[in-house]
Formats: sequence, structure tokens, C-alpha cells
Amino acid sequence: MDFALDAEQDLIVQTVRRFAERDLRGWAADADRAGVPPERLTAVGSELGFFVDAVPAEADGLLEGTYSHLVRALRGFELGRGCPALAALLETNVEPALAIGRWGSQAAKQAVFGSLAAGGLATLAHDSRGALEIQAEGDDLRVSGKLGPLPALAAASHVLVVANGAVFVISTDDLARDAFTPSGWRAARWATARLDAHRVPADFVLARADAARSASAEVLAWARVSLAARAAGAATVAMELADAYAKERVQFGQPIATFESLIRLRDDALTMAGAARLCALHAAWAIDRGLPEAGDLASRARVIAGDAVARATIDAVQIFGGYGFVNDYPVEKLMRDARAFEALHGDERLGRVLGQKAALTGET
Amino acid sequence: MDIFHDNPMLQGVRQMLGAFAKSAIRPIAAKHDQEESMPWGLMKQAQGFGLTQTSLIDGRKKVTGVDEDGDPDKPKIGARLAVAGAEELAYGCAGICLAIGGSGLAASPVARMGTDEQKAEFRRLLSGLDDQGRIKVAAMALSEPATGSDISGLTTSARPDGEYWIIRGSKQWITNGQSASVYVVWAQTDERAGRAGVRGFLVARDTPGLVPGKKETKLGIRASETAQVHFEDVRVHQDMMLGIGRPADGKIATGGLADTKKMLDSTRPVVAAQAVGIARAAYDFLLDRVRGGSLHGTPLASHQHIMFELAEMNMEITASRMLAHRAAWMADHHLDNVAEASMAKAHAARTAQWVTTRAMVLLGEEALEPGHPVEKWYRDAKIYDIFEGTGQIQRRIIAKQLTGQNPT
Repeated sequence: MDFALDAEQDLIVQTVRRFAERDLRGWAADADRAGVPPERLTAVGSELGFFVDAVPAEADGLLEGTYSHLVRALRGFELGRGCPALAALLETNVEPALAIGRWGSQAAKQAVFGSLAAGGLATLAHDSRGALEIQAEGDDLRVSGKLGPLPALAAASHVLVVANGAVFVISTDDLARDAFTPSGWRAARWATARLDAHRVPADFVLARADAARSASAEVLAWARVSLAARAAGAATVAMELADAYAKERVQFGQPIATFESLIRLRDDALTMAGAARLCALHAAWAIDRGLPEAGDLASRARVIAGDAVARATIDAVQIFGGYGFVNDYPVEKLMRDARAFEALHGDERLGRVLGQKAALTGET
Repeated sequence: MDIFHDNPMLQGVRQMLGAFAKSAIRPIAAKHDQEESMPWGLMKQAQGFGLTQTSLIDGRKKVTGVDEDGDPDKPKIGARLAVAGAEELAYGCAGICLAIGGSGLAASPVARMGTDEQKAEFRRLLSGLDDQGRIKVAAMALSEPATGSDISGLTTSARPDGEYWIIRGSKQWITNGQSASVYVVWAQTDERAGRAGVRGFLVARDTPGLVPGKKETKLGIRASETAQVHFEDVRVHQDMMLGIGRPADGKIATGGLADTKKMLDSTRPVVAAQAVGIARAAYDFLLDRVRGGSLHGTPLASHQHIMFELAEMNMEITASRMLAHRAAWMADHHLDNVAEASMAKAHAARTAQWVTTRAMVLLGEEALEPGHPVEKWYRDAKIYDIFEGTGQIQRRIIAKQLTGQNPT
């Protein structure tokens, strides 16, 4: 085992860290207030290889050979330290691009890769509660129900839908979307969409039945690792900010950083965040190697990262006290941002419990 | 102890304010949260329930129909009424509950330490409507930029000038800071005296030099206004210093910080009850969803993963409520409830944060939609572990009761 980064990984981490600390963190407060990302995000993000890093080179993307989820997790952690909302936009194309590259028809590749290479966005929807109605109509599908709330959906050209028994792609051209600005990840271009017997042409159905279950598991593993890495980053930066504040803030004649109760708050939160980061990296490493336990590791990473970011952001606000509760300081935003890490794609623990129960009882 | 059964008066308050919370508060809660605005119309309406800005100094008569200012040694019911009512109002919306009761923070020291003349002046300054046609409200100006938990380090000063005091300094996180018609401001009158030198003053809004500052944009309780207030050489007549003219009986300090600390002992059970109200709101919302919901074709209520979590929430909410009622019952029976008040507040704050966080996780993506009540309650809950003494301060108080020492 070797926990050290190689030269290329280190270069990527250092580059993304500078981008996150200088640009993302600098843009975060204004983007949060405005509820939209800064215009420069697309240009600067593209320069650094985001948006098309999972699109094959032959389709005008940057992907040559196999995609590295380990590198993505390493950079995701840094992005989470910058701004969770903007990080979500920078990472949103990866799952759709990889899924279409893996299972997509020529028509799907042409449509989606063409859009992404031209600066478009795509997003992932997971029907975690089985709420979508999906019916076969010949080789096509008819889908009814609600998608989202999802980040990037308001600006996306395509949605990759992972559902029970089918994985497919929907164009947003003729989709009724309701854009909105939620409380957390405010700049992430959120929307919901209503599908009313929406037709999905056969060329845009990536997998069905057992193949769909397998494809869903893979796609969700990618997404979970990415969410976990970003959540670990957000948890870490919340405590870094609280730590710096606690060293400056004096109450009862001493810096509050020296109170044992606050040392423990910070220490426990950073311990969990560190563990979450390692779990995410481990899961990413397993995905890259095609190990059978990769999906389970990714799910576990998301569980612990969700706990870590919830705890760290709530406790960071606690350490800031009254200042933490007002939006002059960034921890207030981070506590709002924390919720999406656990809510997106459903309750991870619930999915784990149901999955294991089904395996034990034979029920599906 | 009779805390396990509500008497008819407590039941009446619960029913009346519970219905008011559901029918009048809840429907406007999201609007005032999004707009970060005070519910002035509803605050006026609440006066019909005896929830006036001066009810603390008027006694409980308006709420209960019973004048409690009789025999001071008899058990009272005011603390328990306040706890029962606070839970119901916060169940509707914690921010609106604080908007309705915000003046009570200022009225409390006036009721406790004020002379009859000061109480009359406080009432006069809050009578009628302000120049925007709104009911008048009061503000308690204690916290400062450098003093959050440690209120002994106040830097706002009051120096004597003949029959007047000249107040100079800035206050932070002041409820009703921009809109108040009267302020109870705490200032250091004698640095050499330390805590004993800190005194409260009644200051009218239109006093020259009193300058409301920036209104804060907050994580939660957005229907309650929080702002800075600046005092730029504000002249206040000596008669407006709280605690004057009160005989020193050896039990109650005369107008100093010791009295404000005692005041917090009486308000902490009420604050705890508000946190219980938030937790119960999120719990009820989740339970309602579970009763009607399904998961991959199975009833949500058939899953232990979900139902055991709801059971746990129910246990914690019930325990928090009982801690709050115990502390209030002790106050009503003139028993020292310092540790119990802190236990109630610390436990209820933790419960409110935990219940709202878990409810959001269990609701999934739905809870991310704009204006979702559980997301609002998640944001509202956090302040209960910060204001009126942080969770760490409460544990410090409890710990000191155990050994007599302040652990650091």
C-alpha cells in the first residue's frame, strides 16, 4: 500500500486546490447571494479540464484511455473545500458522459457528447424511491413522474436517469422544468421536471432489466464517491475556518480554541472528515480496479461523509457562536450547503438497509 | 411533582396558542422567512391573546385571568404557562414566536429590577403605534461584538454627568435592534468594579445618539429582527438606571449582571420549550409523510429503519419537554433551578438540531425544495444552541453545580 500521491496526482491536487481556494472561495459568497454561478466559472473551469474530462477525446473531450475516479475523488475533496455549489456544477457532467461512453448508442453519444463539447451541462437523476412509472412501448420507454430537485437541471441539455429496471437519457429540449433557488448549493442551477408519459427513444435507453441494475450500481458508485469526496472537503474547510476563528476569539480571558470542549468538537469533526476522505479514496481506487466491493465501499463512503459534513458544519457554526449564525462568515453558508450532500439521491443508509434486507430475504 | 398532568389552565393555553400557531402562524411562516421580515400584523393580533409587549411587567393576569402578584411565597404557574405557550408558538414558527415575544427580553429586567416609575415609562414608550402604524417593540441590548458568551467583558460604558449618564458603545445580535421604541442597554459604570459595575438603562428610541445599525442576514429565525445598535454619547437621566431605589435584601443584587444571570435562569426553560416546538414540528411533518408514503411499493411505516428513528425522535422530544417543564415547575415553586434550566435548554437545543437534520435526510430530495418547512426548521434550530447561553455555557453551568469549579 502507498498513500502518497504520484507526481501527476500531486500536480492535479495542487492546481485544483489553488483554484478552489482562490477562485471558488472568492466567488462563493456572491454566487450564494445571487443564486447563480459566476460567468467566469465556465471559462476557468474549462481551462482546467472540467466539464469534458469524461468525454472521449474522439468526441472533442479530454478523456484518453480509462477515467480515473481516484483523481476525481482527490480533486473533489479540494473542490468541496472551495464551494460545494460550484463544485456540483464542475462535476455534473461526469456521470452522464461516462455512462453514455460505456453503454450509449451512437445516437446518444452524438447528441450528448456534442452538447457537452459545445459547453453544455448534463445531470444525474436517481429514482431512489421507485417513484417513476416506466413502461415499455416497443423498444422505446414511456416515463411519468417527477425528476429532482436536481442541481444543474435548470441549465442541462440532458439528464441521465438511473431507475429501477432502466437507465436512460432524456433531452431537456421538450421537458417542462421549474427552476428554483434552494437554501443550500444556491448557485447550482436547481430545477425539478415533470414527466408525463415522456417518450424515451430506444437509442437513448442505455440499459434495461438486469443490465440496468448493474449499470445503475456502477453509475451510483461513481456519484457517491464524488459526493463523499466533496462532502469531506466541505467538512474539512468548515473546521479549518472554525479553528482559525477560535484562535482569535477571546472569551473568559482565553482564546476559545483552548477550551477542551471546543478542541474536542474540532478534533472529532476533523477525524470524521479525514476518515470520510480516506473512505472516498478507497472506494475510488476500488472502482478504478473494477473490484466487486467498489459499490459497497462507495456507499459506505457516502454514509460517513454525510455524517462528517453534517457534524462539522453544525459544530463550526457553534464555534463561531453568534457570528456563525449570520451570513458575514462562510460557515453559515456551509451549514446550508451540507444538507444536499445527504439528501441528493436519497437516504444512503436506507438504501443500504433495504439492499441488505433484500439479499437476506430474497425479496426485491 | 405535578408535571405529568397539565392543569386546566395549562391545557387551555396549549389549545389556544396551538390553534393560533396552526391557523395564523404556520401559513405565513415561509413568507416571512424568505423575506426576512417581521410579521407586524400577526404581532398585533397576538396581543388579543395577552401576548403584549409588556405582559411580563403587567403580571400574568392578562393571560391567565389570575393576578399572580399576590403572596410571593405561594407556588405560581407563570413559568409553566410560558413554557407551554412557547412550545406551541414555536411549533408554528420559531422566528415568529421570537418576534411576538422579543420584547419580553427587555421587559424581563424591567419587571425584575425596575421601579414603578421605570415600569410606567416602559409602558408609556410601548403604548400606541409607531410612525409606520406598527405596534411598538422593545430591545434588550446586552451582547457586544467582543462579548458573546462572556458578558462580564462588556465595553459599552456609562459615565456620570450630573444627573445623567453618558452611554457609549456598540451592541451586537440585538433582537428588535432596528425597530425598537425602547432599549434596555447594559453598560459598565465603573470598570474597577468589574461585573458589579454593569448596569441596565432604559433608553427611548428617539434619544439623540442612539443609532440602529446593520440588520443581520441570518441562517434562521428570520422573522425575528436582529441588528447592531450603536450608542454615541447617549444621555440618559439617572432615574432610568435599573435597580435604583430597590432595597438590598441580601438575596437579589440591585440591577447588576447578577440579576441578568438570574433572568436567564427564568428564560432558559422557555427557550428550551421553543426548541421542543421546532423538533415537534419536524417530527409531525415526517410522521405525516410516513403515514401516507410508500417505498418501492411498501408502506414507509412498515420499515424499522424509518419507524425506529421516529420512535427515537419521539423519546428525545418528550424528554426535552419534561426537562423544560421540570425547570419551569421549580421556578414556579421558588426552587433554585440553575442546573435544571441549563439541562433543559442544552438538551432541547440538541434534540431540535438532531431531529431536523435527520428529518431532512429521511425526506430526501423533497426537503431541498424551496420553502420546505423542514429545511426552515433545520436552519431555525441552530440558534437554540447559541443564544441565551451556548450549549457549552449550559454544560459549564451544570458542571459547576457538580463541583463548584468552572472547568476550562
